[in-house]
Amino acid sequence: MRKVAKFMNPWNVLITVFFMAVQVAGMLAMPTITANIIDFGVSEGNIDYIVRNGFFMLGFTLLTIVSALLNVLFAAKESQGLGHTLRKKIYRMVIYFTNEELDRFGTSTLITRATNDIMQLQFVMMMVLRTMILAPFLMIGAGAMAYSREPKLAFVFFITMPVLGALIWFILKFSSPLFKSMQRKTDNLNRIFREGLTGIRVIRAFNKDAYERERFDEANWDFALTSIKANTIMAFMMPSMVLAVSVTNILITWFGAQFISTGDMQVGNMVAFMTYAMQILIGVMMVSMVLFFLPRGQVAAERVMEVLETPNLIEDPATPKKLTDTDVSVQFDNVSFRYHGAEATALEDINFTLNKGERLAIIGGTGSGKTTLANLISRLYEVESGQIKVNGIDIRDVKQGELRRLIGFAPQKALLFSGTIRENMKYGRPEATDEEIWHALDVAQGKDFVSGLPKQLDSRVEQGGGNFSGGQRQRLSIARALVTNADILVFDDSFSALDFKTDAKLREALKPDTRDAAVIIIAQRISTVIDADQIIVLDQGTVVGKGTHEELKANNPVYQEIMESQLKGEDI
Amino acid sequence: MAKGGTSNAAHLRAKKANNFWGTVLRLIKYMSTRFWALVATLFLAIAATIMSAQAPHILGRATTEIYRGLQEGRSLQEAGETIDQFPIDFGIIQNVILTVAIVYVTQAVFQFFQQFITARIAQKTVYDMRKELKEKISRLPIKYYDTHSTGDILSRAVNDMDQIANTLQQSLTQFIISVVQFVTVLIVMSLIDLRLTFVTIATVPISLILIAFVAPKSQKQFANQQRELGNVNDHVEETFSGHTVVKTYNREEDEIKKFDDRSDRLNDASLKAQFLSGIMMPLVSFSRDLGYFGVAIVGGMGVANGTMSLGNVQAFIQYVNQFSQPVRQIANLANTIQVTIAACERVFEVLDEEEMTEEASGLEPKRNTPYKVEFEHVQFGYGDEADDALLMNDFNLTVNPGDMIAVVGPTGAGKSTLINLLERFYDVKGGSIRFEGVDTRDIPKPELRTKFSMVLQDTWSFNGTIWDNIAYGSEEHGHDRDRIYAAAKAAHVDDFVRRLPEGYNTILNEEGTNISQGQRQLITIARAFLADPEVLILDEATSSVDTRTEILIQKAMTNLLENRTSFVVAHRLSTIRDADKIIVMNQGDVIETGNHDELMEQDGFYADLYNSQFASYEENEDYA
Repeated sequence: MRKVAKFMNPWNVLITVFFMAVQVAGMLAMPTITANIIDFGVSEGNIDYIVRNGFFMLGFTLLTIVSALLNVLFAAKESQGLGHTLRKKIYRMVIYFTNEELDRFGTSTLITRATNDIMQLQFVMMMVLRTMILAPFLMIGAGAMAYSREPKLAFVFFITMPVLGALIWFILKFSSPLFKSMQRKTDNLNRIFREGLTGIRVIRAFNKDAYERERFDEANWDFALTSIKANTIMAFMMPSMVLAVSVTNILITWFGAQFISTGDMQVGNMVAFMTYAMQILIGVMMVSMVLFFLPRGQVAAERVMEVLETPNLIEDPATPKKLTDTDVSVQFDNVSFRYHGAEATALEDINFTLNKGERLAIIGGTGSGKTTLANLISRLYEVESGQIKVNGIDIRDVKQGELRRLIGFAPQKALLFSGTIRENMKYGRPEATDEEIWHALDVAQGKDFVSGLPKQLDSRVEQGGGNFSGGQRQRLSIARALVTNADILVFDDSFSALDFKTDAKLREALKPDTRDAAVIIIAQRISTVIDADQIIVLDQGTVVGKGTHEELKANNPVYQEIMESQLKGEDI
Repeated sequence: MAKGGTSNAAHLRAKKANNFWGTVLRLIKYMSTRFWALVATLFLAIAATIMSAQAPHILGRATTEIYRGLQEGRSLQEAGETIDQFPIDFGIIQNVILTVAIVYVTQAVFQFFQQFITARIAQKTVYDMRKELKEKISRLPIKYYDTHSTGDILSRAVNDMDQIANTLQQSLTQFIISVVQFVTVLIVMSLIDLRLTFVTIATVPISLILIAFVAPKSQKQFANQQRELGNVNDHVEETFSGHTVVKTYNREEDEIKKFDDRSDRLNDASLKAQFLSGIMMPLVSFSRDLGYFGVAIVGGMGVANGTMSLGNVQAFIQYVNQFSQPVRQIANLANTIQVTIAACERVFEVLDEEEMTEEASGLEPKRNTPYKVEFEHVQFGYGDEADDALLMNDFNLTVNPGDMIAVVGPTGAGKSTLINLLERFYDVKGGSIRFEGVDTRDIPKPELRTKFSMVLQDTWSFNGTIWDNIAYGSEEHGHDRDRIYAAAKAAHVDDFVRRLPEGYNTILNEEGTNISQGQRQLITIARAFLADPEVLILDEATSSVDTRTEILIQKAMTNLLENRTSFVVAHRLSTIRDADKIIVMNQGDVIETGNHDELMEQDGFYADLYNSQFASYEENEDYA
């Protein structure tokens, strides 16, 4: 929380506090004037005094409301502004994260941190700027006013206030772990429900409806019990606070009567004391409310700050070298890589050179390191040892943006953005013409289905491309990579959801278009890699075979095994 | 993953109840099973409120007595007598304090028990509703899930239920108390002093006018804020999920700019919304202060000219607060209650969905049929209406025990339709699907489904150990350690599980990031092994499995397929060639059936498909 404070505007905070102070002063003036009216106006029968002081009251009322409005204005400005600032910062931060940092946090928590956590923080900050400041002002102010008017009677507050404080402390102490566990249990409950929805077919197919209902019921009942417990403790809160103030009122009346009877105190002060007591109660209630929410804000602040304080692992070099467009090539020299904190290397001693006009295929099972290799070329991760050269220059010596401009990338997960097909196609090259887009779609075997859509290139794409099938998404993603006209094209398992026929057609159409490019195709299917100039067989991060299809077929056991499994009995 | 977030935003955008009172009544019905508890809590709330309204008045009597003694003493002093003490009757004060203490304590006790009971009513009601919703989920047809987004259903079960739970717990009692307090305080006040009551009430319209002025504006800004928030959330979700694409396409700065624009708009909207909602309380306080001012002036004059007692004025100063409080609360709650009723409505909507019905086929079972599975003149389409176009018009197929049927077709050909029909996620529109001669509609679903087992392309696992996830496959063998172990070995789950630090106790997390997609697939295969079905349905079961592991799976599967009938949605050549029959699908319909040789001879769609695959090998042979 404290770290978050440095993102705030101290002037705004100061102004907020100032208007709050004025507001409290106005609030405290009310019982004081009332007491005066009773003691000097009513008792003496001085109507004039009553009216005059009445207008004082009105003045203070107006002052209170005006300063309250200004306080709200600045508090809103500051709390929302803080969220705004943090939101922008965290977004910029995450967008520039390397995959390493992204993996460490996980996408979904980063989304939550940039959205929900910031909202929580704003909400709590608004509470802090309004009530958290108001409460102590009000309590101390009311106590001080009471003391200044009648020190003898003020001792009442010194008895009831600590008692009240202790009560609330106890209640919060016992209830807050319960509320925390309630939060966990709601998450659990919702997770089970979600699983029940996403797995509906499996659940039915395996006759697990009853089991699922039971599992849910257990979590549901568990949650209900905990929240009953938590709310039972909370049920003590209001009555005990009211009781504390009631006791205060009784004490004021009893001792007040004694002091008045001996002429040591004015009767108006007694009435004023009761109002002070109520104001103190309001203050305490406000503090307890803020204390209830404060931990949430703290957790949110910590989660946001954790992201903001994460250093980016990959920075552009201070004096970047220029990448030339001539002599397109990709070269891996003894490249090794391991994921953060992993014991084993994900890639071990990878070597290859790929030149202009050539096609390199990488084949291997899941977890063999294919995608990792693809990601390394775009410098989404940093190599551990060895070096990757693009067009003859170490990729660590050039700006990341410049490097990536050279590469057309179709990632394993064919992810599209909401918008139109045209917008998606232009993602890598905003100046692309419709003609170029159609050509890319044609090569990617997507022309037919796109031209079949009523709005063609203007068709809506839902978030993530959810309104297209897996195969369609892959073809659009491939077309998007082609539109960039990049010198180096990387297709990370981009053909997997295509049927054989489409896969074959696509690779055939790709040939004339990529005559001057270096193409890397990552695949699991033999048929996809069969016509590559060079095939690398990966197994558990190491190269276990390198050559053409014919060479590997003849003498590479791993490759043969893969072939065997896919082309069983086929004589080729 | 993406779905949840968008619908959250969408969910926040539209909130308005269509049938407010109808929904309220229905919600009350839920609580009516706890009728006596409800009556008790109402009684306690009313009693506590009446007492708290009495307290200032009673306490005021002490002040009046003190003031009386004071005035009497003054007049004695004026008459020239010297007194060392004002003649206050402490007996009266003692009585007052005693009475008021009893009132306070009883009120506190009542208040406590009222909340104690409310917590139970609220939580158990929500428990019931959640339970009912979950049970409903298991009675709805698959069609419902295919036509409604998971995100939307989830948002009803999660966000809307939370909203209802919170309101029942907190706002409902507050609302009742506020209404009771408003009425009781009003009555008590008017019984004490009509003039002061009038002054106090006079401030209510002021606050009402202020609220009426600000509230709609504030609601509008809130809706605005929610919309902008939705935009921001959508953008975050989209670009964080597509992080790799954003980076590799060098779009960081553009996306940041887009985000900043959206964040700016959100900030504008939320500033207005927060300000407008924030000033509600000060505005109500303002009218309360005006009441305070009125009571002080009018009361002061009244006491001065002897027509009012000071105690009553003091009581009214407290009443001003007790009276403005419920007005403020109700104003605050009005919106919450609106939102909650709208939430209830959305939950009820799901509860009112039409459930699955079981209709007997009316067909005689065939005795002594040689076939395991038989499709007879099957007609099917996803539409509900009679005139909706059918996807399948007249599909016939006979499957011998032990046959392997391969289903092939281009992407999106509707191969999953066959699974839907076999597992009876959907029923046929015409014709009949028979299992060992009996129409599948005449076999209870649980029984039918123990005979069929499937491995879907979308692997599904739940948040539990690997062990539990495999055990999921069979009710019967789910507790048999040896069988689970055997299934894990057969599906080569054992190989990688042994390398995990927690082994079989590894808890699969929701996003499935702690094991690979291929490993996840293996687990679902193991599940099918354990289920030991008579008919196996594989939906591209091995598409994302490690090619080398695939070899092993193939071997194990060959064993599994022995003496077992199977339907395999296949992409791999070997599967297709080994199949006893091939179903070729395109655009939802079955266009060709037969074995490989027959279909090649037909020289139709299948031949074309096969050749395009084969062509790449031949072409390659040419290079060699």
